[in-house]
Amino acid sequence: MSGTRLTRWVAAIPMAALALATIYPLVFTTNVAMKTRREYVLDRFSLTDSLRWDNIVKAWTSVGMSRYFLNSVVVVACSVALLLLLGSMAGFALARLRFRGSSLLFLGILAALFIPFQVIMVPLARIMADTGLIDTYPGLILAYVAQFLPFTIFLLTSYYSTVPPDIIDAARIDGNSVYGVYWRIMLPIGAPALLSVGVLNALFCWNDVLISLLLMPSAEHRTLMVGVTSLRGQYSDDIPTFASGVLIAAVPVLVAYLFLQRQIADGVTAGSTKG
Amino acid sequence: MGPATAGPTEDTAGRAPAPRPATASARRNRRGSRAERLAPLVLLAPAILIIAGLRLWPLLLGINFSFTGDGARNGMNVGLDNYLTLLHDPLFRTALRNVGLLVLLLPVAVAIPGLLATFIFLKVPGHRLYRGVYFFPAVLSPVIVGAIFNLLLAFDGPLNALLGGLGIGPVDWLGNPDVAIFAVVGVHIWATFGMALVVFLAGFATLDSSVLDAAKVDGASLPQTIWHVIIPSLSRTIQFVFVTTMIGMLTSMFGLLYVMTGGGPAGSTYLPEYYVWIQQGQMNQPALASAASTALFLIMLVVGLGQIGILRRAGKED
Repeated sequence: MSGTRLTRWVAAIPMAALALATIYPLVFTTNVAMKTRREYVLDRFSLTDSLRWDNIVKAWTSVGMSRYFLNSVVVVACSVALLLLLGSMAGFALARLRFRGSSLLFLGILAALFIPFQVIMVPLARIMADTGLIDTYPGLILAYVAQFLPFTIFLLTSYYSTVPPDIIDAARIDGNSVYGVYWRIMLPIGAPALLSVGVLNALFCWNDVLISLLLMPSAEHRTLMVGVTSLRGQYSDDIPTFASGVLIAAVPVLVAYLFLQRQIADGVTAGSTKG
Repeated sequence: MGPATAGPTEDTAGRAPAPRPATASARRNRRGSRAERLAPLVLLAPAILIIAGLRLWPLLLGINFSFTGDGARNGMNVGLDNYLTLLHDPLFRTALRNVGLLVLLLPVAVAIPGLLATFIFLKVPGHRLYRGVYFFPAVLSPVIVGAIFNLLLAFDGPLNALLGGLGIGPVDWLGNPDVAIFAVVGVHIWATFGMALVVFLAGFATLDSSVLDAAKVDGASLPQTIWHVIIPSLSRTIQFVFVTTMIGMLTSMFGLLYVMTGGGPAGSTYLPEYYVWIQQGQMNQPALASAASTALFLIMLVVGLGQIGILRRAGKED
């Protein structure tokens, strides 16, 4: 099969080029973040000879990225915790408890999966304003939970459907209530799925800009991504500081990706293979 | 709500029900306490309340809202006026035209990751590395991707420098109304092809290798193998990628548009989602924004119903 081998090597060249094109933008940004403004204007491509953290420190402190960062951490942590709690409760009930209308309910949740945020954003903003939840942490957290709960329930239901009923029966015979089964059996058994869904939800919430832009209008409540968009206008003549802000927002995702790549990919593909 | 054991229920994921004998758990349930019988309701209530209140209810509210007026006519029934305004608004027409462009570019956005996944599956040199590298931009926020490409696509930026070295350009990527939408869509594809790639690879993992071996023995060329063996076996995966890629193009480009072009130059990069945002957030015309939302939803509904069909069929095949 020398022909196929040749094809493979020919294909490898554009694929390697594409891999470089995938990595380069972030390398470029990191390099720019390390430069002084003068260096950037004179030569934006050369590698910096020294690692300078001045821009990063400036972006973190005086530009206010630390505040935005903290806002994002609080909102994402609370949203993910709630999503996993409510999602696993619902997933367990839909997959392993028998009650009338369970499949209809599952279809209803599946339908909610296909309502994009753009379609409900106008009335949602009004509901949040009417209830006084606009521009508050609980309001944004609730919006994120509502946005990503159908997806979370969908994945956790299909995961819990694979748990053998014998395990539940055994736990019942041992005297556990339904709630005991959920808390002591289903939560620990679901750990791999919860990790995967949790990481994915954390990414969704961390990366979101539209929902946060709509529901957190004041500057002090900005999440990190909205903070990055506001940098653009403020620092259009100070590109290294701008690049530093972008880098601060990207690094947590980069770290999560390095350690949890498999879980992220599992979550993305679950919908395609499990159905 | 009846007793927990009433009636046969099918497996919720739509799969063939696992054999479930009438066990101790069922018997216990029947004589279980009230709290036990209400367990499904208790476990599901918070999720149902949130989904119904903050997703389904706003959807109805928004559709209803789209038939009312803005400003002086606030709350009045104006019939289809908002929809007529949309049809005559050059910005919304541009947004619709750009949706048409996305549909035309859809096969490209599916073929690229499909072909790359094929080569990774065929173990090109370095295949172990590529999956992890290609998937990486897919986890970055559109805001970060857009901010980075603002630098890269600047008139005096790296891409034009590279092209200048080859004797091409410079191109005003984000400043030329004829080019900007292609630049933004190109960046979107760059940022998301890894997502589709991973889905394709999961599909390849289910491929029966004996069929591929048979094709090899028969001396099939690579294009023949792709066309006659791989594409038919992966039809489900390909459909799934088509639908999810289209939904992604319609609903996750806001961040890129917001950071890269702001809808410009000359309104040339508007998409329906961006139009909704501008009318709601900037122009203070929520009713018109609702009409645009409803129009977007109709577009999505066609795509989404197709997806439900695929998912349910996928479930039955298992």
